Amino acid sequence: MYEPIKVTDELVFLNPNEVSITRNAFEELVVQLSDGTTHTKVDVIRSFPIKEPVRYISLVDSEGDEIGIVEDVRKLIPQSRDVLLEELQKRYFMPKITKINSIDGHFGITQWDVETTQGDVEFGMRSRYDIVSLENNRVLIKDVDGNRYEIENYSKLDPKSYALLQTQL
Amino acid sequence: MHSPMSGSRGGSSRRMGMSSFGGKPRFMKKGDFELTTKEEVPELLEKRAQEILDNGEEIKIAVSTDLQFDGTYGKDWLLVTDKRLIAFNQNGVLGHDMREVTITSVEDIEVLEMYGNNILKVITQENAIELARYSKKLTPKFNLTVTELERLTSPGKPEGPGIRAQGKGPGPGRGRRGRRGPRPDGMQGLQKGGDRVRCEKCGNPVPSWTGVCINCQQNSKLIFRLFKYAFPFLYIIIPAFLIMMLIRLVSLYPAILSRDLIDKILTPVGSALAAGEQLPVTTWGHLQGFINTLGEWFGTMPLGGSFGHLVGIVIIMASIRVFSMGASSIRGYMMAWVGQNITRRMQNETYEHLNALSIDFFHERDTGNLMSRITSDVSRLRDFIANGLQDIVGDSLTLIYMCIIMFSFHWKLAMWTLIPIPCIIIFTIYFGKLMSKVYSVLWKRYANISTILSSTIPGVRVVKAFARERYEISRFSELTHQVFSGEMNAAKLGSLYRPMMEFITYSGSIIIWFVGGWQIFQGDLTLGTLFMFQSYMMRFFGPVRTLCQMNERFIRAGTSAERVFEILDTTPSIADKQDAVTLSNIKGEIEFRDVFFTYDNEKFALNGVSFEVQPGEMIGLVGHSGAGKSTLVNLITRFYDPNRGEIVIDGHDSKDIKVKALRQQIGVVLQDPFLFEGTIAENIGYSKPGASQHEIIAAAKAANAHDFIIKFPDGYDTMVGERGARVSGGERQRISIARAILKNPRILILDEATSSIDTETESKIQEALERLVRGRTVFAIAHRLSTLKYANRLVVLKEGEVDEIGTHEELIEQDGTYANLCQKQTELSKIRAW
Repeated sequence: MYEPIKVTDELVFLNPNEVSITRNAFEELVVQLSDGTTHTKVDVIRSFPIKEPVRYISLVDSEGDEIGIVEDVRKLIPQSRDVLLEELQKRYFMPKITKINSIDGHFGITQWDVETTQGDVEFGMRSRYDIVSLENNRVLIKDVDGNRYEIENYSKLDPKSYALLQTQL
Repeated sequence: MHSPMSGSRGGSSRRMGMSSFGGKPRFMKKGDFELTTKEEVPELLEKRAQEILDNGEEIKIAVSTDLQFDGTYGKDWLLVTDKRLIAFNQNGVLGHDMREVTITSVEDIEVLEMYGNNILKVITQENAIELARYSKKLTPKFNLTVTELERLTSPGKPEGPGIRAQGKGPGPGRGRRGRRGPRPDGMQGLQKGGDRVRCEKCGNPVPSWTGVCINCQQNSKLIFRLFKYAFPFLYIIIPAFLIMMLIRLVSLYPAILSRDLIDKILTPVGSALAAGEQLPVTTWGHLQGFINTLGEWFGTMPLGGSFGHLVGIVIIMASIRVFSMGASSIRGYMMAWVGQNITRRMQNETYEHLNALSIDFFHERDTGNLMSRITSDVSRLRDFIANGLQDIVGDSLTLIYMCIIMFSFHWKLAMWTLIPIPCIIIFTIYFGKLMSKVYSVLWKRYANISTILSSTIPGVRVVKAFARERYEISRFSELTHQVFSGEMNAAKLGSLYRPMMEFITYSGSIIIWFVGGWQIFQGDLTLGTLFMFQSYMMRFFGPVRTLCQMNERFIRAGTSAERVFEILDTTPSIADKQDAVTLSNIKGEIEFRDVFFTYDNEKFALNGVSFEVQPGEMIGLVGHSGAGKSTLVNLITRFYDPNRGEIVIDGHDSKDIKVKALRQQIGVVLQDPFLFEGTIAENIGYSKPGASQHEIIAAAKAANAHDFIIKFPDGYDTMVGERGARVSGGERQRISIARAILKNPRILILDEATSSIDTETESKIQEALERLVRGRTVFAIAHRLSTLKYANRLVVLKEGEVDEIGTHEELIEQDGTYANLCQKQTELSKIRAW
């Protein structure tokens, strides 16, 4: 009777077999499509930085226009995949907190002393908006400087860390 | 070679030309956090460096990072001389971990601002080398480093080589980009970044809205500031305080009286009677005139003079009670008056200031939080000023009075009495800490409940329109469960605390019975004194407990004071307000049959409306405010039902259609697009539970929202804030259009979707709307008639009735109400055009 709106024709999903992503000497990403077009200085953006680290990666050209979306990085040809993964690793830095040593501070800013998968770090956190708990006991934290941290599953933390975290959620 | 202006993509690029830096950056001034680009190089590294450097080559810049290139925390080093740049890893070992660039080959310097970390990169003719990777914490230091690098790489030139900003497309690359809209130029962004104010003492960032470092804000200062509110009432507070001191002093006297009663009257009388002797003539030292008169008077009576003394003492005891009772109530009233005056002053002052503040202040905070500051925090402060402080002084005095009395009467027993005191102190402090932990968790959970309520109650239209009641109920129930478990934790502690306290108190009195009794056996103590000690023992604990909790009380008052003063200390900034729009959607063929509707049973908002709408037709609703346009739309969604007449949808009276089923076919974009606290993806997906990310992106793309969404560092995972406060009006609108698109409704209602949006945004929204209206029944309300250009027919409403109906051309030809409106708007737009 009625046809659904065809919104997908607006979106460009790149065929994983026909995209080539390489890095040039200027440490810039070069994307080559099957139709022969080449884009340099390509930016890679996660559509869902928090929930989908390797899916729905938007490739944006130097003018800020979207070239297309890589639906799943893992489906790319290996060379492109590795370059893209490396770039994502660089662009998105979000250590996973494995242990909380202490959380201090009364007024506004709380000082955290934590151990992460990337090493030990101390940071300050401002408001309760900067700590977000998601489903599956996942917690995301943004510090006063804009750095991001995550806790994959807080119920798997040791009891002390868990107790400390509870005071902040 | 890139010129400083080469990076023209996107207004939000950061360009770091010398000129834009304009001299010294203005962050952190002294202390540990002093910015320097010449740090002390570790010895090992220094040695390694010397091997590479030529003779006499001087290290100009030495900065350390806090990240290594493999993405682990650690210190890498960047050394710069006037000949070369060298990036070392921590050990400074040659090999892959050292990158060297000669200064003459440097063409450009870039800072890649990314998600949670930045990279400093230099570009030569042939390639580019990434020199340092660091977290956002070190942004100011490396900004300064870049400035100095520029100076070194281009000596003598007034402007450095084009320091390319790595504007690189949108997205997280733009670390600290303002959350709404493009930034006019790179310089502004830089200042914003460099200007981040940090506390000079502790180095913590100072919240922009307070201007003072709340980390270093001293409690004592806050408390002193509170006194400002007490000063005007000193003429009441001081007398009230004196009354309290007097009451405390006098209330200790009955125990001394009872001691005398036992030792000097009851014991002699009792033992005389037991021995069958005559009643002794008792003497008593205090208030002799009064007592002796009574004694003489009773002396003539059968019970004798001793009985007169008993009566006298009882009268004195009673008078003391009556006096302290009366004085307490007078004092209580006085302090209540002071307290309420303080509350009122503080609340008025805070509320007044709150009103003066700009919108951005409110966007940063949720309503519940602000509400509790004005209500509960202020009353806590009132309580602290009016009662807390006086209690603390009064209790300390009572303790001192009691100690003096006890030690002067019997110092040995007094020592024994004090034994349980340390237990009480330790116990109270320990429990207090446990309790405050449990309660702070609990408070946050209660706050979550009010947050969810204050978010969904005003948004009830959206909840109902998308039939998500069950979802909201389960969310709420999850929170009440959290509160339940928190309260049970508190109850666990609370039910333990009281019996334990009673036990300690009781053990104190046991000690006195035993030691005191033993002393009596020794002939070292009288029965009266023993009784006096017992009664003091009982009164000792209250004050001790209060004093133990003193610290906590100060901290709490400090916290409340900080929260209240935060409002008072914020200076209003200018923020523009944007209206938001919401879309809604309905299904198929719709016929209005003589529909009447009234909100208040007095005036009919709709007065016999009849017209037919074909499936897929777009109807523009036109008319003055109050003509009944929104009412009409509210009836379609069945927020209300008509009083008379019927609305027939696909041949069924709307009253016969299941509300839920009907609403599932309707999409609404309301005048004020309402977003819930949560991510953008959640907000778009709200209309279709279980929508895939693929669908969400597709809907956003169709709503012209995808491009701005992926420019947020968190993309679709960006939290929009309560009621979507953290995204702009136009963005909110497009998110809500995406929400309606995702639902793919058969009936769509657009209620003033583009009011007060700038023209460019409007054209984007129009584009999205055009896509949205295709192939479905649409009702669009608009004051701006241009918005209705896609409408198949226009319905002109006037005072609740259909005035005209037809296409644009037909209505213009009729030269009626619509033609008149059109003409007026054309004139208006001419005025606006310039």
